[in-house]
Amino acid sequence: VTDIAQLELGERGAVIVATVTGELDASQAPLMGDQIAEEVPTSAKGLVVDFSSLEFIDSSGVAMLFGLARKLGSRRQRLSVVVNDGEAVARVLEIVDFGKAAPMHADLDAALADAS
Amino acid sequence: VTPLSDLFERSVKGRALAYLFAAGAALGLLTLVLPHDDSVKDLPLVILAGVAFLVAGAAYWRAPRITKPELHAAVALGTVILTLANYYVGSTALFPLLYTWTALYAFYFFDLRAALAHVALIAASYGLLLALADHPSAVTRWLLAVGTPTIVGLLISRLLSRLRAENLASVQRADELRETEARTRLVLDSAPDAFITLDRDGLIVNWNAAAERMFGWSTAEAIGRPMRALIVPPEHRDRHDERRRELVESTGNVTGRLMETEFLRRNGSRFQGEATVSKVEIGGEVMVPGFVRDITERLRRLEEREALLREQAARAEAERVAEMVSGMQLLVDAALAHRSLDAIVEDLVTRVRGVLGADAAVIYLVEDGQLAMAASSGVEREGTPPRVEFGTGFAGQVAESSEPLMAEQPSAEEIADADLAALGCESLLGVPLMAEGQVTGVLVVCATEKRPFGPEGLGVLQLAADRVALGIDHARVYEREHRIAETLQRSLLPERMPQLPGLAVAARYLPAASEAEVGGDWYDVIPIPGGSIGLVMGDVAGKGLAAASMVGQLRSAVRAYALEGHGPAKAIEQLNRLVWTELGESQMATLLYVVLDPADGQARWVNAGHLPPLLAVGDGPSVFLEGARNVPLGVMPFPTFDEKTVTLEPGATVVLYTDGLVERPGDHIDNGLRRLSEAVRDAPDAPDDLCDHLLSALVPERGAPDDVALLVLRNTPMANHFSAEFPTEPQALSSMRTLLRRWLRYAEGSDQEIAEITTACGEAATNAIEHAGATGDSPFEILGSLEGREVDITVRDYGAWREPRLDDQGRGIGLMSSLMDDVEVTPTHEGTSVRMTRKLNGTAL
Repeated sequence: VTDIAQLELGERGAVIVATVTGELDASQAPLMGDQIAEEVPTSAKGLVVDFSSLEFIDSSGVAMLFGLARKLGSRRQRLSVVVNDGEAVARVLEIVDFGKAAPMHADLDAALADAS
Repeated sequence: VTPLSDLFERSVKGRALAYLFAAGAALGLLTLVLPHDDSVKDLPLVILAGVAFLVAGAAYWRAPRITKPELHAAVALGTVILTLANYYVGSTALFPLLYTWTALYAFYFFDLRAALAHVALIAASYGLLLALADHPSAVTRWLLAVGTPTIVGLLISRLLSRLRAENLASVQRADELRETEARTRLVLDSAPDAFITLDRDGLIVNWNAAAERMFGWSTAEAIGRPMRALIVPPEHRDRHDERRRELVESTGNVTGRLMETEFLRRNGSRFQGEATVSKVEIGGEVMVPGFVRDITERLRRLEEREALLREQAARAEAERVAEMVSGMQLLVDAALAHRSLDAIVEDLVTRVRGVLGADAAVIYLVEDGQLAMAASSGVEREGTPPRVEFGTGFAGQVAESSEPLMAEQPSAEEIADADLAALGCESLLGVPLMAEGQVTGVLVVCATEKRPFGPEGLGVLQLAADRVALGIDHARVYEREHRIAETLQRSLLPERMPQLPGLAVAARYLPAASEAEVGGDWYDVIPIPGGSIGLVMGDVAGKGLAAASMVGQLRSAVRAYALEGHGPAKAIEQLNRLVWTELGESQMATLLYVVLDPADGQARWVNAGHLPPLLAVGDGPSVFLEGARNVPLGVMPFPTFDEKTVTLEPGATVVLYTDGLVERPGDHIDNGLRRLSEAVRDAPDAPDDLCDHLLSALVPERGAPDDVALLVLRNTPMANHFSAEFPTEPQALSSMRTLLRRWLRYAEGSDQEIAEITTACGEAATNAIEHAGATGDSPFEILGSLEGREVDITVRDYGAWREPRLDDQGRGIGLMSSLMDDVEVTPTHEGTSVRMTRKLNGTAL
């Protein structure tokens, strides 16, 4: 079974943590991007998008990330992403050179530190 | 009868004898008183006179019952007295002539021989007297004395015998007449009819026993009274007089004039009588004899018979009408169950024509404010059915007025229906078809011969029209409902099977042959996000609109629960709660819900009171999935639903169905299941072919007795080549990835290779969906082939090519290029084709 993408939102201090699981494609990504953006208050210092449990991502998921990076940048908030090295999701983000838009980390704590 | 008859009465003879003796004695005494010869001896003569008086007295006394011997004795005694007197008188020459008296009496009294015996006695006694006296002229005297009475006696005898014969005849005639009269009276008295005779003045002269019984007046009371006062009711008396006068004054005899009139009884009651009256003239006297018969009973019987006939006729009419009505009713009933509106009007119009014996019948129905010919019988129809406006033509007038209409020898313009007019109608009769106060049509019948339908025909036609209107109304309502139900049901069944990667699905829905109402059978195939497939087979109790609408609710609910990602047990639990709480306790439904993960072939199912699904694997024996049986939906508020799992290996097939496929009236369900299992064994693999095979093997030729729903899913085995179609919507992406991963696993790609190729193909598919835009609904295709170790995948869409935007979709092309060995994008005017290849060698690019 391929699970459709699920979103879980949490707060770690002044940082919002959005954990996405399942497979993220065009059927979910655009809406999910908007939802995450809305859930980040202006008071928050930053956002961590946790893709460590994400099984699949395509260009629409990538677009979602770029979109979030743009939005947060304009609000002077920081974004960092958690991905597992060597897995398909990390490979896609590497290909599209997402590192230029936001820092990527292999574990959540590093990402949280980066975002606050 | 005649005075002469008395002459021969013995009492008369007795009295005559008495007078003779008395007269003789008186004469003898008188001669003794008068001067006479001295030779006459007075004393003996006085004694003889005394004896004669005694005999006279005895004869008179005995006269009423005197006997013949007494008469003989008396006459003989007379002869003896005369002889003695003669002796004592002496020789008087005239005296012997007195013997003439006794001789005369003898001839008068007796027959000739007896009379001659008395003459002999006279001859002997006088002869003896003469011999004793020794008289010189004795012989002369004797001859004189005997000869005179003999001659006179013979004459008298002759005369009397004539008289007697005549008297006898007259007596006989009188007797006969009396007898006839008695017989006639007997006959008349025993006759059941009263016999009454009137004289010319109307007075009753004859009245028999039957008349006594009939009128209550005795013969004695009736005779001599005027009939008019006795037995004619007062109001009829003048007419009676008139008739009698007319009868009496008519010339000649009149026999047997029959008349029916009312009579009066003594007790004042009346009755209807039939009189047969004659008039006879007998010797100038007019008599009016008549028989009267009481016909009350006959009239009653006649009336009874007429009443019976009337009743029979009425019953026959009622039966005819009832038959017609029941015929109509049957037709209406049939229409309610089975027929379309077209079929029912066709049938009704034929029936109406038959019932009325009309040459043609036409039903017009109101359509868009006009009357459109809907059905005809006895009319040649060609081309488009004629239409008339309200108020135009015969039917139009009936429709406009909502009243029955009759027309004699109408013109073609009046009829306004050329085909009908072509028949040459002599009589037209039309009645409106009314439903809920509205004219819904017009029923017209036509007779081509001069044969008016009359008020009776109108009545029957009206009756027929009511039935027709009712039938049409019902048929319309029914058709509308049927159409709604059918549309609803059709909309509830998937229009086409979703393309399921690696799976082949086919379904059939076969309405029952005999049932016009749609049933509650339904099925659904639900692509669940994440690539799973939900298969639903259900049966809602009941039929028609209600069942169809419940199917609609169930279908929506199942889809909703499926899309929420609930497993089968959870989904069914929620569904049961919905049925129990929302849809009403009376609703019940069976349901089979199977969720299949095509990635690994795991099928989870829950069975809520439905027939078990059948699992067929290759050529091996098929098995019914008996587990996970639960109560039907809607029978309990909180049942627990058991769920089971089975693996659908590549090549395995699962068959879902409703009872219509396996149940046969009078046959055990197990036999049906066995038939299904056997039919599946030698069936073709492809689900479409399998469905056809099962229907032809299991459904009787004349059609299924109940609705049949059938759903077949096959887990297609993977091969070097595959192709699949997906809808151009983002939700299809996960299904596509599932299929692709299955195939790549079959191609023995490494996890990394599988992930990368899947991502690349996902990009191509996302572009294809993007190209289709909001308008397109044509699916996109994905074709894969494995040549050696190289996979060659093409994603083709039929949308409008768009230049990739730099930021987002542009990244898609980049990803594809990065993840595949080679990417070739070919935009054409009818769509875009993206071909990608990659060599599998177990490493990432």
